[in-house]
Amino acid sequence: MANIEFNLDRVAKLAMLELTDQERAKFQEQLPSIVAYISKLQEVDTSNTDAKTYLSDRVNVFRADEVCDSDEDTHSRLIAAFPNSKGDALEVPGIFE
Amino acid sequence: MKYRTAIEIRNAIEAGEITALEVVEYYLAKIKVEDKAINAFLETFDESALESARKIDAMKKAGEALPRLAGVPVAIKDNMTIKGQISSCSSKILENHRASYDATVVKRLKVAGAIIIGRTNCDEFAMGSSNETSFWGAVHNPWNLKKVPGGSSGGSAAAVSAGFVPIALGSDTGGSIRQPAALCGITGMKPTYGRVSRYGLIALASSLDQIGPIAHTAQDCALVLEVIEGIDEKDSTSLELDEKVVPELIEKNFKGMTFGVPREYFIDGMDEEVRKSVEEAIELIKQNGGEIKKISLPLTDYALAAYYIIQPAEASSNLARFDGIRYGTRAQTDNLWKSYLHARGDGFGAETKRRIMLGTYILSAGYYDAYYKKALAVKTEIFNDFKKAFEQVDVIVCPTSPAVAWDIGEKFNDPIAMYLADIFTVSANIAGIPGISVPCGENNGLPIGLQFLGASMQDGKILRAASAYQSLTDWHQKDPK
Repeated sequence: MANIEFNLDRVAKLAMLELTDQERAKFQEQLPSIVAYISKLQEVDTSNTDAKTYLSDRVNVFRADEVCDSDEDTHSRLIAAFPNSKGDALEVPGIFE
Repeated sequence: MKYRTAIEIRNAIEAGEITALEVVEYYLAKIKVEDKAINAFLETFDESALESARKIDAMKKAGEALPRLAGVPVAIKDNMTIKGQISSCSSKILENHRASYDATVVKRLKVAGAIIIGRTNCDEFAMGSSNETSFWGAVHNPWNLKKVPGGSSGGSAAAVSAGFVPIALGSDTGGSIRQPAALCGITGMKPTYGRVSRYGLIALASSLDQIGPIAHTAQDCALVLEVIEGIDEKDSTSLELDEKVVPELIEKNFKGMTFGVPREYFIDGMDEEVRKSVEEAIELIKQNGGEIKKISLPLTDYALAAYYIIQPAEASSNLARFDGIRYGTRAQTDNLWKSYLHARGDGFGAETKRRIMLGTYILSAGYYDAYYKKALAVKTEIFNDFKKAFEQVDVIVCPTSPAVAWDIGEKFNDPIAMYLADIFTVSANIAGIPGISVPCGENNGLPIGLQFLGASMQDGKILRAASAYQSLTDWHQKDPK
């Protein structure tokens, strides 16, 4: 992978990040070299290996779908931690024009 | 204060030699004066700490049995939730975020009578190896204020090292407990993945993150681990434990234990003094009954590259929730898209943005298989390498960090040089195995760390090795001047 294609604007948009001009200049230089560094993994032969996120052999850990452990205090703290609210209602901006 | 460790403090309170209130007052006063130069604490909880201390003293007075950490002050890294307190992850985007619940580890510490004395500085969202990416400023190494303390749990490590608390909690995703412990001359442990619940730990990379203790001694680490470990229904990756860690570690030698020395952990470019100190430690182990075997972990060189794929990928996904809608400050714009961009652009620092960008790139269409899936396959191979190694040896012994603490600012603008600081620690996270760093020497007045790695769930074995090492050496008894 000699040529690293790194479209900064496309990635910043996907990442929902506003970058300053200074950050833009810095990242344009740094990110392709980091990508070049991590590309050395291609040297490892993994043709016979499974890709696993978790190494533990447990799968699908569920609990019963029951309401538990909530109290008035936690409830009010959760609402207080939300940026905008009216009474018990959480206020969010509209997503349709 | 003549008591230095959690065990000494707890026993002195039980024996009536000192009250919990005196202990807490002593530490709060010390932090107030001396932390100005170090910046380890973002906040101390004076009122609630004093109140908790009075409760312990009342229990003692009433003749009640004292719990295991009764009256012992503990500092919590700013990425774990403490009910009613700010949990900012040292980030501007969460600067006013007040937690509505206790992390499981915090809850368990409180039940055990520990006094939550404050929250500590760290790299922003635990991304960094020097504690310079914090929105609240760099932490200074107590051994030399011009040097970094390591990271990302730099505040917790500096706090223990400076004598501001006997114990602290950190989190370790790629070395963030062990590397600052090494650079600050103290003991820090990353338990087996799943041994300690991550509920209430603000996620960086969920498949790698693990909470662990930072202390002066392996014995204190064992005590804290015993309090915080064990299955938790709120973390589906937490594990049922077959055996509890033995809190009383009495071994004074290494008889019956086989130690593996991986040749890939002694590389060109590492600090010669680090190499020398670690080799001396290995010689000491040999002289005191340990069997030494040379081993090979051939994929070590690739572990760091795999880490800097898996970690940013998971981080970019975990940090997507911080968009000003559910947390933090909502940007006042007429356009929703712009409000996301602004909240994130303004709220995250440069290193966090760099890793979010890297992770987003790795997970984007066309690159996912080449990077992320490949890294997961390499992760499995690394796990298999360790598995094979632990069929021959009980414990692996190696350096924690290739260098001692460096100057603040030195690597700040060179991300790859900074990432290389984690080269000896990331493998344990990738393989999910436990590791502990203990002080084993000094170079120009700066501490050197020795690392013990164990097989999955063999946390007790590395604690025993570390504790035996500390019974034969006094590096862990030294304090910065």
